Amino acid sequence: MRANFPFVAVVGQDELKKSLLLCAVNPGVGGVLVRGEKGTAKSTLARALADVLPEIDTAEGCAFVCDPARPGEWCTRCREKAGANHWVKRRIPFQTLPLNATEDRVSGSLDFEEAVRRGRREFSPGLLASVHRGILYVDEVNLLDDHLVDILLDAAACGENRVEREGLSFAHPSRFMLIGTMNPEEGELRPQLLDRFGLSVAVGGETAVEDRVELMWRRQCFDRDPAGFDRLHAEETLALRRRLVAARERLPGVRLPKRLRGFIAELASESHVAGHRADLFLEQAALALAALHGENEVGEARIVEAAPLVLAHRRRDAQPSPPPPLPPPPENSEDDSETPEKSPPENREEREDAPPPPSPEQGESPSQNRPEDADDGQSGGGATPEENVFQIGETFRVKRVQADRDRQRRRGSGRRSRSRVSQKQGRYVRSGPDLGTGDLALDATLRAAAPHQLARRGDSSLAIVLAPSDIREKIREKRLGNHLFFTVDASGSMGARGRMAASKGAVMSLLLDAYQKRDRVALISFRRNGASLDLPPTTSVDLAGKLLAEMPVGGRTPLSAGLSRTWEAVRNTLSKNPLARPIVLIITDGRSNVALRDPGENPLHEAWRLAAAMRQDSRVKYVVVDTEDADAMNFGLAAELAGALGADYFKVNDLKVEALVNIVRRSEW
Amino acid sequence: MSKAKPVYPFPAIVGQERMKLSLILNVIDPGLSGVLIRGEKGTAKSTAVRALADILPEIPVIRDDPFQLSPDDELEILAEIRRHLGLAEDAPIVRETRKVAVVELPVGATEDRVVGSLDLEQALKSGKRKVEPGLLAAAHRGILYVDEVNLLDDHVVDVLLDSAAMGVNTIEREGVSFGHPARFTLVGTMNPEEGELRPQLLDRFGLCVTIEGIADPESRVAVMERRAAFDRDPEGFVLKWRSESEALAGRIERARRILASDVAVEREFLFRIARTCLDVGVDGHRGDIVILKAARALAAFAGRNEVQAEDIDKAAELALPHRVRRQPLMEMADDLEAVRRKKKGMES
Repeated sequence: MRANFPFVAVVGQDELKKSLLLCAVNPGVGGVLVRGEKGTAKSTLARALADVLPEIDTAEGCAFVCDPARPGEWCTRCREKAGANHWVKRRIPFQTLPLNATEDRVSGSLDFEEAVRRGRREFSPGLLASVHRGILYVDEVNLLDDHLVDILLDAAACGENRVEREGLSFAHPSRFMLIGTMNPEEGELRPQLLDRFGLSVAVGGETAVEDRVELMWRRQCFDRDPAGFDRLHAEETLALRRRLVAARERLPGVRLPKRLRGFIAELASESHVAGHRADLFLEQAALALAALHGENEVGEARIVEAAPLVLAHRRRDAQPSPPPPLPPPPENSEDDSETPEKSPPENREEREDAPPPPSPEQGESPSQNRPEDADDGQSGGGATPEENVFQIGETFRVKRVQADRDRQRRRGSGRRSRSRVSQKQGRYVRSGPDLGTGDLALDATLRAAAPHQLARRGDSSLAIVLAPSDIREKIREKRLGNHLFFTVDASGSMGARGRMAASKGAVMSLLLDAYQKRDRVALISFRRNGASLDLPPTTSVDLAGKLLAEMPVGGRTPLSAGLSRTWEAVRNTLSKNPLARPIVLIITDGRSNVALRDPGENPLHEAWRLAAAMRQDSRVKYVVVDTEDADAMNFGLAAELAGALGADYFKVNDLKVEALVNIVRRSEW
Repeated sequence: MSKAKPVYPFPAIVGQERMKLSLILNVIDPGLSGVLIRGEKGTAKSTAVRALADILPEIPVIRDDPFQLSPDDELEILAEIRRHLGLAEDAPIVRETRKVAVVELPVGATEDRVVGSLDLEQALKSGKRKVEPGLLAAAHRGILYVDEVNLLDDHVVDVLLDSAAMGVNTIEREGVSFGHPARFTLVGTMNPEEGELRPQLLDRFGLCVTIEGIADPESRVAVMERRAAFDRDPEGFVLKWRSESEALAGRIERARRILASDVAVEREFLFRIARTCLDVGVDGHRGDIVILKAARALAAFAGRNEVQAEDIDKAAELALPHRVRRQPLMEMADDLEAVRRKKKGMES
């Protein structure tokens, strides 16, 4: 194995080093979430920490890293051997969670060879077994599939990995130090997950030239002679290890004066944190910090020192990291798991019968959230009826817009709508024969083979004789990206009263969201006498953003042309890729005053007729974003259009995650 | 190799000096971890990468080893792999030398093809495991070339990132897992109009060059003439360029030796690197380290034992364009000098 860069030789990153040491001293501190730039020695430090920590005792070759001091937790093998066990010293486990890890690989699965050869139902341990008593490093934790994150955090929280699937019911201890990294620009972490990390640290590159030079210098020395570099720092590493061991021994005796509990609670409530995890983690961190400094009692200063690490990611009014503002309160989870399944179809029915009545919530929220600055900026723009290019207004975090579920299996990537997938990623939901994925569902295969065993058993040396007809393969489900079609009304009426800036802000927000969810996007705009496909479907969300910024506004409103151009683009996509699930987002005030063909027809009625026709294809989902101000005279034209399309209907402000409560309430209603 | 199908000679590529240089630097120091070539269609991107085979050095390998292990320092791993696969551990090890391989990863490649696969059907029948090595095994100690890297499936990208980060590829099926070393130089080409790369993947490329079609009519004519000559008589064309190819290959070989025997960098140059990175604003420190490595490779290529200021500047131009800090949905900086001027302007 190649040598690791020594912990003590890393330049700077003091906060991260401190957090890691706290976790190493006190497992109760609950893991570290590292937020920030690439290439800042995050994984180097995590890896190096494993070298600093003292070696542990375990049975030779034990896949569960059993602890001799806890016979109650031993695995079957260790228990069978009991006294005859050869305890050996080993470096503490360090595991990186692979980006393409499957559930089997993480939590373990049925042992294939054992089952087929000897007919025994054995558990084949996964990552959570081999990382017991060690460090689990999860890079880009915010990009991980939800179900995997759940497994990790469950194990981290209860110190145990429970497997209840594939006919297995098994549990083994799994206590590890969780280190996660994320780049907030790539999407936020779900708030409940965020809360489960005890500490968080923001890292950045060193800004002093001398430090950067020192860093390069050391790196160069290390590359030339890793072993020699390691020797050079051996003494310092040893001193750090002694300090850690001493701190661990001291920890149980460190006291926290009662009056300081109140102080902790005060600090937590000052930061408006949700729940009580913050208080608990802060206490544990302060204890660890005191132990690390060789103190027997926690002082106020230690609490103050630990507070930023514990509170930064829980603070509710925290500084928004532009562009996506900080995550909302935990209600978000509902939008993630349950609502999408139930609500959209029901929604649709309702909308059809009665266009949404101006509900009381609607009256409140938009006026509150209206982007003031954008409004001001536009007052001049509204006056001139000519063509204008408006700035992009305020952006915000948008709620999840996703396609309805179906039974089609797709290939692909991304993070928007749930779909069955024909690839070895995602959650194992069912099994079936002859899927051609080569993704064997062992449990189902064995079940299928079971009835034939008496008849098949000839001279085979295997315990179970399988025939090709027994093979069952896994049906998996994961989120995939969609094709998003943005149809933007760029007519003169949109220029009024800052509407275009707000609308562009909304589209930009949706684009940022599309970037994080890896969608393909297309951009269609309509104004004056026609509509144009400004950007055919592409993964380059960048380009869409640029075109949006440059999109001019002016002229009359050919809504029908916009709809028909959109439909053409959607149909093209569907004929190329019949399994695609396009989502069409129409950003408009619903007005229409240019007819497509027959000048005699009422342009508005023509548009609605087109909309009703577009609705016929059930593969396409429509969303209408109404740009009309709620407080102005409300024509309800966009709602009317949404009704004709069978679309979900939102006001710009309803798209914001903050407005989520309103939407949930309304769809129940 | 040479009999199968002649490759276009590397030195015969007209212009595109930065692209050629960045490829050469990666051959001199595989530690540079690859290059991303951005540019329009038909700018000799793929030709250049394939032509690399023309000038690559030879490395020692083990005969009939599908994992390209080094007979010098990976024998332990070989023993382990043999044990794992139930092969004779004491089978004789025959040393031979072979050119560094350029392995092409097609955009439509399945995960199995890339990672390799375990033959479960075989296992079902006999209870024994059989491994079919994938492209990552073939690319160990070589060059992995991905055309249209921005169109690659996300799950294949994940696999690449994992191997690039850990230097190990794991083949996994039904709880049966098998790992082998996979350290490769990643060379990707892309047309930015078709979408950008994920930031993590972008960061894995040591160098990045943006190329354009050649504007100079004379050079354009030269491109056409050479291409036509090659198509007419590939063997003859290769023969005509042989001496130049060999000269370049020799120069690269020399540079590798110089680099191995150490190229000195004075401390003042480290300051120059750090200041450059701070000036343009890059994330983290990978930029600094890559510039340092690239500068040393440049010096070695020039046959020098010490790095000069011009090496640093040239290296920065290759190492930084894709690392300049930017928000999502912002364009990539193509011109480093412009970025620096802009930053300076904002400060003053």
